[in-house]
Amino acid sequence: MSATDEAAHAVELRWPDGRVETIRVGSGETVVDAAEATGVAIPYGCLYGACGTCTAELLDGEIRHLKPVRALKERALDAGYVLPCIATPETDCRLRIGHEIQAEVLGTPWK
Amino acid sequence: MSTDEPTHSTEHHGHEHHEVEGPGYPTPAAMRTESGREKTAYVMAPRVGMANDGPDFVGVVDIDPESDTYSELIDTVNMPNKGDELHHFGWNACSSSCHAEGLSRQYLVVPGQRSSRIHIIDAEDPRNPEMVKVIEPEEIFEHDLSAPHTVHCVPGGKVVISMLGDSEGELPGGFLQLDQDDFSIDGHWEADRGEMEMNYDYWYQPRHDVLISSEWAAPNTYYPGFDLEDVEAGNYGDSIHIWTWEDREHVQTLNFGEAGQIPLEVRMSHNPEETQGYVGAALSSNIIRFYEEDDGAWDWDVVIDEEAREHEDWDMPVPPLITDIVLSLDDQYLFFSNWLHGDVRMYDVSDSANPRLVDQIWAGGLFSARQEVQGEPIRGAPQMLQLSRDGRRLYWTTSLFSSWDNQFFPELAEEGSLMLKADVFPDEGRMELDEEFLVDFGDAPGGPARAHEIRWPGGDCTSDVWQ
Repeated sequence: MSATDEAAHAVELRWPDGRVETIRVGSGETVVDAAEATGVAIPYGCLYGACGTCTAELLDGEIRHLKPVRALKERALDAGYVLPCIATPETDCRLRIGHEIQAEVLGTPWK
Repeated sequence: MSTDEPTHSTEHHGHEHHEVEGPGYPTPAAMRTESGREKTAYVMAPRVGMANDGPDFVGVVDIDPESDTYSELIDTVNMPNKGDELHHFGWNACSSSCHAEGLSRQYLVVPGQRSSRIHIIDAEDPRNPEMVKVIEPEEIFEHDLSAPHTVHCVPGGKVVISMLGDSEGELPGGFLQLDQDDFSIDGHWEADRGEMEMNYDYWYQPRHDVLISSEWAAPNTYYPGFDLEDVEAGNYGDSIHIWTWEDREHVQTLNFGEAGQIPLEVRMSHNPEETQGYVGAALSSNIIRFYEEDDGAWDWDVVIDEEAREHEDWDMPVPPLITDIVLSLDDQYLFFSNWLHGDVRMYDVSDSANPRLVDQIWAGGLFSARQEVQGEPIRGAPQMLQLSRDGRRLYWTTSLFSSWDNQFFPELAEEGSLMLKADVFPDEGRMELDEEFLVDFGDAPGGPARAHEIRWPGGDCTSDVWQ
């Protein structure tokens, strides 16, 4: 087992349709990079924390953002939303994943 | 002669300054009358933020009614990466390079709005476009720019792209200049940005030494979706900017305030003698006319003012949201889309300061009685428009921007968007939805996609500038 594997955490990805995948994410590696490397498709856009396409909900565990979280406001961060494109797990984690989470954070104006 | 061909001979024009062969037409009327009917459409087709996974693509749509595959998506050029969000695009050369020998309208410049990656596609064979170069985001960020939007070819062998953010998706934006020969990056177009911070679309007219740019917001504001708190906080645009073309300096800001929130697409008259144009303010749902005064300063007036409307399922009155506008090549008709309400409007602008509504088509959106075409539900509503060169056919797509789509028309993320068409009768001042025409990007190879900006191989109503 390599050093990276030893430092890796298990990240469980849960989709709204019930699908669940667990990937290993190395220390300092982003969830999106690890998912891509494993061939697990998750949403993303800018890859630097500005666009929010990858927005996910942290259900369990601890996660650390490696860059400023520009796409999420304070209240979204407080509610447990994270950006997998710039986030690395500090512990084993469970994340709710899906393209619709970005819109759920803001809702629909005027509605 | 069809302008599906990337170059054309000048001998057809008999135009005195046409001693050299160039990639465009000497006048807007020449393009309108001599180019022939459009046969192929290129359509941006992003898959960002969709239920299915996959890269964005440039779609090739057959719009030749004589063809067996008319009204079908016949080819796709897949992007090498995911997450780009293809949005707007342009050509390496157009009628602005009318006098430039050796140039042809051959290469499409296709930016990723979210990724800041720029793709160069060789469209020499209009029905078989091929990716030839990719400029990676890191090369763009080195110039402290991001979020490429409007692409115009400009005189002097250059391509200028409006950039909405800095390398971190914050303000200010700017303009990136590429070389037409090898698409290498020259750097910033602007010499002095002045007080301009936000950017979006732009138009330019060298004859009057002017470039006019509009405002959306910082990428990190509009990328994640539309939040009214950001409007209240002043994070969205409400101004347009006047620049000198020659010196590349910001010289004037036209601040619209409440009357012009989120001014997006800028369309100057095609006639190069004119010193006026229109900008659609999306959120205020106004059309604002801007014009040069005798002293050389620019001024503006609201010339079309739409109202928000109550909807039983919504808490607050919903604005129409004017998201795209297009001006016919003869400058007689202005078309625009109301993406939330669900209609396309046609205005007679022959008296440019006094537009007159002549027709309207409802198709999708919140208020349209027509919610399907050929039995297919209209997902989304009229959005990006493109008009045929002869002004007789108006095409549109129904997606706006992935994150905003997901807030207002979430079904687009599951099933993709549509391309629709209306027949326009300029002599009668009216238009009709063509129910025989439907391109369903939900059926795209590799899974559903959102369809966005549309262009024809030979140039169109938003690609070319005449000096």
